[in-house]
Amino acid sequence: MDLLRRFALGEIDAFETLVRQFQGDIYAWIVRIVRDPGIAEDLTVETLWRIYRARQQFRPDRNFGAWARRIATNLALDHLRRKRPEQRLVAEPAADSQPDHLLQRETGEKIQQAFRRLPAKLQVATMLALVEERPYNEIADALGTSAGAVKLRVFRAVRILRKQLIHLGVRPE
Amino acid sequence: MIEPDDRQIRQALRQLFPPVNTELHRDLWPAVLRKLDARPVPMPWYDWALIGLSASVFLFFPQLILVFAYHL
Repeated sequence: MDLLRRFALGEIDAFETLVRQFQGDIYAWIVRIVRDPGIAEDLTVETLWRIYRARQQFRPDRNFGAWARRIATNLALDHLRRKRPEQRLVAEPAADSQPDHLLQRETGEKIQQAFRRLPAKLQVATMLALVEERPYNEIADALGTSAGAVKLRVFRAVRILRKQLIHLGVRPE
Repeated sequence: MIEPDDRQIRQALRQLFPPVNTELHRDLWPAVLRKLDARPVPMPWYDWALIGLSASVFLFFPQLILVFAYHL
């Protein structure tokens, strides 16, 4: 019997093999969204746990990686929804008192603030499409939607960001 | 679809979010195994409430099933 069939039947050895095979891919996908290695590891463990719980819903003729990625994306989305918008996403740069750098840093913080205020689904689509440059089809698959819907989300996110930045008095360089 | 300003925003986002290291540095299987051993699978009360609510709505307004199915 093949590996996926054995996993769907609840064989723990088959699941262990799948974990070892896919944990890196799942982690890489999540860390691209949440941008924090520690949180990404926790979410990867949670994703793998949920995958095992949902094994009876998995059809062995389907693509396991794509199914796992969709569960991981949902968890990352939940994480972004729970997270406060004020929370920083990237590490603080070293203190620098030069006026230009202070201005740049302030602008960066405002852009990040505006980005964090976007709905989680728009954040994920924008992060994966514009920052990570993942293919629209891949993002659509992970979000359980069409490539057209992903493009629309990115378009909406950019429009909202532009409005918010104008409101905050920021013009991206 | 991307206007000049949009390109600036894309550029700003790329500068703000530098590439992350996507490599996993440890095996997560022991942590998964611990979690599998530790957690039962309880169904939260709000899931039951949602199921009950949906069932009642569909019972009293069966035509909504079609609307619901259309949006799936």
